[in-house]
Amino acid sequence: MNEHDEAAPMTVAAEPPAPLLRTLAPLLRGLERQFRGWLDARRKFPLTMIQRAELEGMADDLRRQGEALDVEKPLLVIMLMGGTGVGKSTLLNALSGAPIAQAAFTRPTTRDPVVYFHHSIRSERLDPALRLCRLAQHDRPGLEQKIIVDTPDLDSNDLANREKLIALLPIADIVLYVGSQEKYHDKLGWDLFKEQRRRRAFAFVLNKWDRCVTTGELGLRPDEDLLADLKSEGFEKPLLFRTNAQAWLDSAKKAGTTVGLPPKPEDLPEGEQFPLLRNWLELGLTRLEIEAVKARGVGQLLVSLSRAIDGVRPPDLTAEAEKVQQSWSGTLGEEAAVQADVLVGTLEPYRTEVEHHFSVEDQQRFRGLMGAYLRLSTRMKYAGSSLRDRIPLAGRILPGGRVETPVEWNLGAFVQECARSAGERALDQRSTALVNRLLVEGDQRGFPLTLLHDPTHTVGRLDWRERITRSVIEALAEVEQICTNPRGWRKWVRSTLGLLANTLPEISLVATAGYVLYDFFVNSVVPDTFRIALIAIVPLVVIVIFHLLIVLLLPVRWPAIRGEFHKRLGARLTQEFERAYLPIPSDLALALVEERSQVDRLVAETKEVNDWLAVRQQAAQVAELYGN
Amino acid sequence: MEELDHRSTVGKLSDDLGWLENHCRLQPELAAHAGNLRLASALTRNTIGPFLEGQPAKPLHLAVVGGAGAGKSTVVNFLAGAIVADANPQAGYTRHPTAYLPAGPAFQWPSYIGFMGPMQRISQEKPANVDEDVYQVKRIPPLKDGADPLANFVLWDCPDMTTWASAGYVNRLMEVTALADVIVYVASDERYNDEVPTQFLHLLVRAGKAVVVVLTKVREVDAAALIEHFKQEILGRLPKLPDGNVPAVPVIAFPQMPMSERTDPAGAGAKHRVALLNQVLVQAESETAARARTVTNAARYLSTAGDGLLDVARRDLAEFELWKNTVYRGMAEFEDRYRREFLSGEQFHRFDHYRDRLLELIELPGAGRLLSNVMWALRTPYRWSRDAVSKLLVRPDVLNLSERTVLESSLSGWLDQLRAESLRRAGTHPMWKQIAHGFEGGLANQARDRFQQEYRGFELKETVELEQAGQQMLATVEQNPVLLYGLRGGKFVADIAIVAAVLYFTWLPSWYHLLLIPLGVSFTHQIAELIVRGGAEAARTRVRRQREKLVAQSLTTPIANWLAEWPATGGSSFERLQQVLTRVPLMIRQMEEKVSAKVKAATPPPEAPAPASTPSEPPRA
Repeated sequence: MNEHDEAAPMTVAAEPPAPLLRTLAPLLRGLERQFRGWLDARRKFPLTMIQRAELEGMADDLRRQGEALDVEKPLLVIMLMGGTGVGKSTLLNALSGAPIAQAAFTRPTTRDPVVYFHHSIRSERLDPALRLCRLAQHDRPGLEQKIIVDTPDLDSNDLANREKLIALLPIADIVLYVGSQEKYHDKLGWDLFKEQRRRRAFAFVLNKWDRCVTTGELGLRPDEDLLADLKSEGFEKPLLFRTNAQAWLDSAKKAGTTVGLPPKPEDLPEGEQFPLLRNWLELGLTRLEIEAVKARGVGQLLVSLSRAIDGVRPPDLTAEAEKVQQSWSGTLGEEAAVQADVLVGTLEPYRTEVEHHFSVEDQQRFRGLMGAYLRLSTRMKYAGSSLRDRIPLAGRILPGGRVETPVEWNLGAFVQECARSAGERALDQRSTALVNRLLVEGDQRGFPLTLLHDPTHTVGRLDWRERITRSVIEALAEVEQICTNPRGWRKWVRSTLGLLANTLPEISLVATAGYVLYDFFVNSVVPDTFRIALIAIVPLVVIVIFHLLIVLLLPVRWPAIRGEFHKRLGARLTQEFERAYLPIPSDLALALVEERSQVDRLVAETKEVNDWLAVRQQAAQVAELYGN
Repeated sequence: MEELDHRSTVGKLSDDLGWLENHCRLQPELAAHAGNLRLASALTRNTIGPFLEGQPAKPLHLAVVGGAGAGKSTVVNFLAGAIVADANPQAGYTRHPTAYLPAGPAFQWPSYIGFMGPMQRISQEKPANVDEDVYQVKRIPPLKDGADPLANFVLWDCPDMTTWASAGYVNRLMEVTALADVIVYVASDERYNDEVPTQFLHLLVRAGKAVVVVLTKVREVDAAALIEHFKQEILGRLPKLPDGNVPAVPVIAFPQMPMSERTDPAGAGAKHRVALLNQVLVQAESETAARARTVTNAARYLSTAGDGLLDVARRDLAEFELWKNTVYRGMAEFEDRYRREFLSGEQFHRFDHYRDRLLELIELPGAGRLLSNVMWALRTPYRWSRDAVSKLLVRPDVLNLSERTVLESSLSGWLDQLRAESLRRAGTHPMWKQIAHGFEGGLANQARDRFQQEYRGFELKETVELEQAGQQMLATVEQNPVLLYGLRGGKFVADIAIVAAVLYFTWLPSWYHLLLIPLGVSFTHQIAELIVRGGAEAARTRVRRQREKLVAQSLTTPIANWLAEWPATGGSSFERLQQVLTRVPLMIRQMEEKVSAKVKAATPPPEAPAPASTPSEPPRA
């Protein structure tokens, strides 16, 4: 960094920096509110536990960033991260010139994080996670806006330490990756670095530099090796400080300096850069840089946020839903036909009752002699259907009579009983099987089963018996309607028959009686028994003829009704099934489209904030803290 | 014969363990087990195999292991007494193991099929950072002061297990570890409480290796305190040895040495070297004993850790068990549906025919036929009235779906349920995904084909069974003369008795008294009919129950078994997993027995004392 580079943007950006972060804070808060709302909303497209945890963490980060920025002087948190024994605490002690962090040969040494901050910062301003750590205050103006945190290790047998570190990491603006000759690319640390590098700024320290310079014949010097590693991770020109913190600490102790750089230790190996690190922390990270790091941190968070949200964007299943509906309606039709079969089969033992019912209904329109005759004959014909119910225990003893029927003919109760029996026998299992069939078909048409599973099972658990009962009653009523109000030629036959049957018997009675009387009075023929009997016989013959005609032309026998009833019942059931099941995929697809658009909105808003930030941030000075 | 036998056992066992290791590597959540399995298979191939083959105990193998940059190469130099390995500050420089042979007469290099697994020995010298599955062998230059205390040892410089690159070469470390008789575990002042190396140390102890710990880069003043601390913190938490003893692990400290000492192990640095050599030699008093211990411990480790090693397979098999349960639950549902949808309403009308024949059977034969016909004629009014009443009272049967329809839709329901279940669980375990994939590839159709085949057999059997049940009902009466004549005679006697009684009590009878005769005869017939009907109904119930059994036996069970075993067929991993689970413990036991027999045979005659001197006193500087 030279003077000119720094000065040029300074003049332009002298105005914006302060408002930049202050403006960003409410933006972030707004974004966080929306994000939270979206995250907490009930959704059809489920998040996995890991996805949810990741998104929750980001929401927390967003809130934290928003709060941290909404102050006059934002604080920069620099966190030391590294394995046990690499000298994190020694480094902090050397930087502070005092043994504020415990350093010893026992590993792991640091178990509680140490927070090193300026005394002007009230501890309430620290992040809540930091307030619980060991606090060490200082009065160095160069570090006024910076908080340096010494963290526990990440690789010792004490796993709690690693958890503490990982819990603290989200607070860090800059991570100071501390490595030693042994540990500079240990797997545990490196994995954590790779996981975090897109989220915050990284600078590197190779401590115990004295151990690195004893070159062997072969192999790279650790700093070269580390630089090569970093290059492959996209850090072309990382900030790498080669330090020997212990030497500086010893020197400070010897000289008794607590403020300022201690005298240079004597046997310092070549290329030692502790003063450079100290300088960078105190002077290199100016207010401008702090804001740039902060802004860039927010930018990184927003980028990873939009990437994460994008990753859980539900798929668009509208086309699939249509296909699923098509295939489902076929399946439901078939299923309805089979269930109608079962139900009609269950009604079979009650054919006489059904016929009786229809006959009675049909005969309502006959009056007079015909009506009286029909009612009488029906009662005689179907004597069994009520007789059976009057014989106690008949239902149990006589074969086929398993279903108890109410004594009084009651269509509703009767059908309910039938539906219950059919349900027990077949329909309940069929409903469960139907749900599975539909799920499998949905999956075959490209609709994920996990999405369909719950709503389809919910529908499958509805009270289908009640629905089926209703369908049977309605279908029976419809058939009755058809029987009593036929169409086409039947209508004419029926009304003609009705008209004639209601009049002819009476007419024939009157005519016969008139004829007999006429003979008696005019011809003076005294009627014999036969003639008197004729008065009854002729109308009876007429009535019987009509009865035969009715039976022949307008049958209400069960086999004649059954076909029609089956058809109607099938249609009813299909309708019932389709009403319950068919909307599921399209509703789901619709909900997913809505969720999709929510995700899109969130991503767009995130991008907007990020763009706004990109235009305004001048990150040129801090580019080396971020890889590509 | 014996030779071949142990070779095939060792070969198969190491194959199985290697396969299991690969299986773990393919599943991210099991990858952590892969290292242990590699060690197990390497122990079999590198240690137990050559021992059973009867290869000489000499040379013993001494491996130097530790975290990156802890100073393994420096320790190797101190053991060798000369600068043989390049000790440089790049952490994780060494990428493949190097064996250092002592100066002096060459020994027989172990040769065994599968020795060192996939690692090839390279002949030309290459830098230690060649990242390939190889090992190289170098020779230590002759020492100036003659006698080499480690003349019976091959010295192995191993790669680390801590850097991010180590995932690619930790297998090579495992191979050498398995081979080693004595292991020098190097930990620096920075590393000694690190998780990854400590886990490795635990593994070494569990495998029963003799371990010497070297703490490097210790500040002279801290040395004693650090050793104490190490013993308490790390060694205090070690697992037990395979034989149940608490491991005795010696610890020595190497201070941060000046360049002069570090580059001259035999001269300026000799005091550190002597301390180290002492501890190493204590671990290996004689080659035969040391090797016997290594092999015995290896075999014992395999038998004790075997269960743990196979746990990875158990998790998969638990999932497999779950699938089987799902299949059998589906089978129970299938049978339940068949029972309710078909059997409950089925009347077996063919059976009525047998009932009628039974009724005929109890009529009188031959001359008695005439009498029977008279009785039949007398009963005519009764028969008519009975038929009329029963027509009024008896309800028609429930119309059943046909048996085939019920069976087929139950099968579809079963298959759909399995498919839905496998799709639902597809994310939780690869097996369910495999099954879901199988369904996509026509598993359901295969099951249907299978069902059609079984159904043909079932149809035949069910007809035969029904006929048999009917025949049997007739036969029980026909072939039991006492019963047959009892029934016939009983009915006949009752008929005659009633006729006689009517005549006797109403003598001389008027016409209306004679009406009592048909009434009485009808009454006896009704009784007989009720008895026959009762017998027929009982037989019908039996048929129903048998039909249920038949369905379970010849339809559902074969299909369920086939479905349940489906994931384990066709060369899938489950087939192998099952084999491995049953085979491995068996082979481990066999091997342990062979090892202990061989050890027993080898130890009593210590007739051949080691040719090379095994000095109890280490050389002085």
